[in-house]
Amino acid sequence: MAAFEPILLRNVGVENSTSLKVYESRGGYRAVRKALKMAPDEVVKEVKKANLRGRGGAGFPAGVKWGFLPKDRTVTLLCVNADESEPPTFSNRVLMENDPHQLIEGTIITAYATQAQTAYIYMRGEFHEQFHILQKAIDEAYAAGYLGKKVFRSDFSVDCYIHRGGGAYVCGEETGLIESLEGKRGWPRIKPPFPAVEGAFHRPTVVNNVETLSCVPHIIERGADWFAGIGPAHSTGPKLFCISGPVNYPGCYEAAMDITMRELIERDGMGGGMLPGKAVKAVFPGGVSMGVLTADELDMKMDFDDPANYGLLGLGTAAAVVVDQDTDIRVVLKNVARFFGTESCGQCTQCREGTAWMYKIATRIANGAGRIEDLDILLETARNMGMMPGLSICGLPDGATYPIETIVKKFRGELEEAIRSQPRGRVEKVLSAAG
Amino acid sequence: MAKIIIDNQEVECRDGISVLQAALEAGFDVPHYCYHPSLSVVASCRLCLMEMKMPHPKTQELVWSPKLVPSCQTPVKDGMEVRFDSEVVQKNVKACMEFLLLNHPLDCPVCDQAGECLLQDYSYRFGNAESRMVDRKISNPKKDIGPKTLMYSDRCILCTRCVRFTEEISGTGELCVVNRGSNNEIDVFPGRSLDNPLQGNVVDLCPVGSLIDKDFLFKQRVWLLESTPSICPGCATGCSIRIDHADNRVYRLKPRYNPKVNDRWICDEGRFGWKYVHDKRRIVSPIVRRGLEQTTPNWAEIPEIIRFRFEEQVREQGADKVAVVLSPFMACEEAFLLIRFIRRVAPMATLVPGPVPLEGDDQHFPVGATGDAVKFTILSEKCPNRRGIELLMKVSGGPALEFDEFVERSGKGEFSAGWIVGGYPKSWVDKGTGKIAGNFELLVVQDIVENDLTAGATIVLPACAWVEREGSFVNAAGLVQPFDRAIDPPDGTLRDGQYLYEIAGYGGLYSQERVREMMAELLPTFSEVYEAPEPPVHAH
Repeated sequence: MAAFEPILLRNVGVENSTSLKVYESRGGYRAVRKALKMAPDEVVKEVKKANLRGRGGAGFPAGVKWGFLPKDRTVTLLCVNADESEPPTFSNRVLMENDPHQLIEGTIITAYATQAQTAYIYMRGEFHEQFHILQKAIDEAYAAGYLGKKVFRSDFSVDCYIHRGGGAYVCGEETGLIESLEGKRGWPRIKPPFPAVEGAFHRPTVVNNVETLSCVPHIIERGADWFAGIGPAHSTGPKLFCISGPVNYPGCYEAAMDITMRELIERDGMGGGMLPGKAVKAVFPGGVSMGVLTADELDMKMDFDDPANYGLLGLGTAAAVVVDQDTDIRVVLKNVARFFGTESCGQCTQCREGTAWMYKIATRIANGAGRIEDLDILLETARNMGMMPGLSICGLPDGATYPIETIVKKFRGELEEAIRSQPRGRVEKVLSAAG
Repeated sequence: MAKIIIDNQEVECRDGISVLQAALEAGFDVPHYCYHPSLSVVASCRLCLMEMKMPHPKTQELVWSPKLVPSCQTPVKDGMEVRFDSEVVQKNVKACMEFLLLNHPLDCPVCDQAGECLLQDYSYRFGNAESRMVDRKISNPKKDIGPKTLMYSDRCILCTRCVRFTEEISGTGELCVVNRGSNNEIDVFPGRSLDNPLQGNVVDLCPVGSLIDKDFLFKQRVWLLESTPSICPGCATGCSIRIDHADNRVYRLKPRYNPKVNDRWICDEGRFGWKYVHDKRRIVSPIVRRGLEQTTPNWAEIPEIIRFRFEEQVREQGADKVAVVLSPFMACEEAFLLIRFIRRVAPMATLVPGPVPLEGDDQHFPVGATGDAVKFTILSEKCPNRRGIELLMKVSGGPALEFDEFVERSGKGEFSAGWIVGGYPKSWVDKGTGKIAGNFELLVVQDIVENDLTAGATIVLPACAWVEREGSFVNAAGLVQPFDRAIDPPDGTLRDGQYLYEIAGYGGLYSQERVREMMAELLPTFSEVYEAPEPPVHAH
């Protein structure tokens, strides 16, 4: 297999890669000049043809999303989703830290394609350094006439603002993001109307992920066919993969979506294998919300389709965290449950109550006071919370239940054994304390 | 009109409403918490989810969609088919009820809402006998969120009806959701207090026992209360209300749905404006004075005494020396009877409309709204029936005087016989007015509590509060709205309508319908009264 030449990460490691000068010297801002000479619809058509699927987690084709905008709209808004909050995902961070102009170029092209005159970059509140890097790049782009009135001396004008979030997972959900952007509580909206019809400030709104938009300049510059030629048929283009946990080289790597989970761990130039003396027990391949793989399931393809064959929700953010054999699966269960227990926005009944209940049960199991029936309650609660098709306003409960269900199902033996070997009387003692 | 199929039954429904509203109007008992017909839809309680037939993505054949959809959020469409009675739908309701009760304190025995609580009702139908959660419950605090309202956060199910009310109806926005996830709580914004003039409605809106009216707190179990439909006399808006009473005592007033007047709301002024009903100083028996002699005759003698004394005055002083003050707190029927009596004994008697209490300016809600955006109005005219009295005076003809003029002229002794009806909930007789009592040879004063007029009157008749009477009020918009009596007047007292009926020369029992028939002959307005439609029985 030919070595994959980085596309999205091509500027990573280059000195001063965040500056406009370096970005341009390496071919930056050529695509946008080309795009501005095309008709907006042609840009949309090209992205559709490239089959660029959303990198935020759901994998919805970006071009199709843009096509939902009403034809008779007068104002369009573009939101760039930089609220990267899925554990353990950091690919957007890498893009913004190292190559902010690539994102800005993608943003301008997308704004032009959708005829948006305002772009909001909704940035996760915890991104401090990244905010300053990106803001500096935006200032540079304004100064160069790439943002603002009549960009690149064309007739197109676009303004770009960074809006910093307050640190809530749910604000990465596109309507939660829009509510938060409007200055409200980040509670996802009921749909319809979909954002493309009525989004931020009651205007047609497009919401795309940082990585998705970073792909756009390359599609325009090198053509849809080139992009579609990378990777499997339904999972085209370059993709960033994160890997963390006890591997030799945790980090963010770029590849086509034809690699397997095992390759991501093992390959040189990627994970580079497990740390000495460590073996894989489990892997969350797509951010925790997609569910878990056992050590026997590592041949799963990291594309948009294969995860479903392993009982997972999807590819998600393609950020894998490896759990080694020395880690108690009960602690993993508890940590996952804690995340969703504290990140549910609390709007819908099932998610608000279910995530908190699962967290309580998982905590008790981790504290050595589990009961076998708790495992069944976890599974039933997961089902009652709604798993594809969901029962709630947004997809958060789907993401909260898949990891719980897959952990309990795939590691039931280990969990039961741990529960059975608890000291006698422990459950009663803990429960009576709970009153 | 759209035709849709709900649980295999064809239902005709109004266009533009939600499936949930259509189902409720057709009598289906669909569980719901967050949905409220007068508030925006948030679809967050997830209890009203339904199955819906949708075209299959491949074959386009109509099949039951695997995804449940919120019926509150789905508009009706002609020909659509939905179901609530299927296993998946019922399972979802059961699951939701389990979730909602996980952290609920289950303190029904000490909760005011018990007996009218949707959490109780639905858990009887869908809940488990025992919680499967063995861990410690989240127990959010009880909060004093305003001068009249308490918030028991641990009972809250986060339907956010109260928050939406303050945003969309009162427009004051005191309430918000704080914290996140299962730690969500409703609270007032820092430094604020739930003190807007409509705040009491949040207690009515709350489907559980979370928002509690301090005034009613621990006063009575709701299943011991009896409800009587009535009209609020607090201002000229004439809101439809319900009087909740037991053992001849009023315990609380609640709004009653009236699409033409108040929708589903009332103001606090009206809500708590009934306290005078149980005032210990109330006049409870008729008093007749002659010189220094004072008697409390039997009610049966009263019509005869009054007729005799008025006829005596007319004989001695002339028919034009008689004046009657009609209070804007009287029901139309009562005013009609009094006019009829006085015109019989003194055809040239002067009719005077009682003073109209005005306070401040009209208040429109949401705050700052104008025109069609106004959803509720508290009028500055603090009486229920000025228009009714005006109508009757107009149709009766004859001499009329404004109240101020009447006071002035009686001060000069121009009238020898008078009848003044009070019945105001607040003290209304100022010094100047009180003085005129001495200038009458015969003065009948009808009032609730004693004042300078009753002290100087020759005949004092106890007036009843509106909860003890029946009749109709004409509101500011000209709507004739009947109200029923809820409780009996204090012992020894007869209802105004009854004694006026007898004084006017009619036998038997007073009923508002009977008197209204007579009124309708004079004034067709009274042939039809407006009674607000009952909302769907399962709508909450």
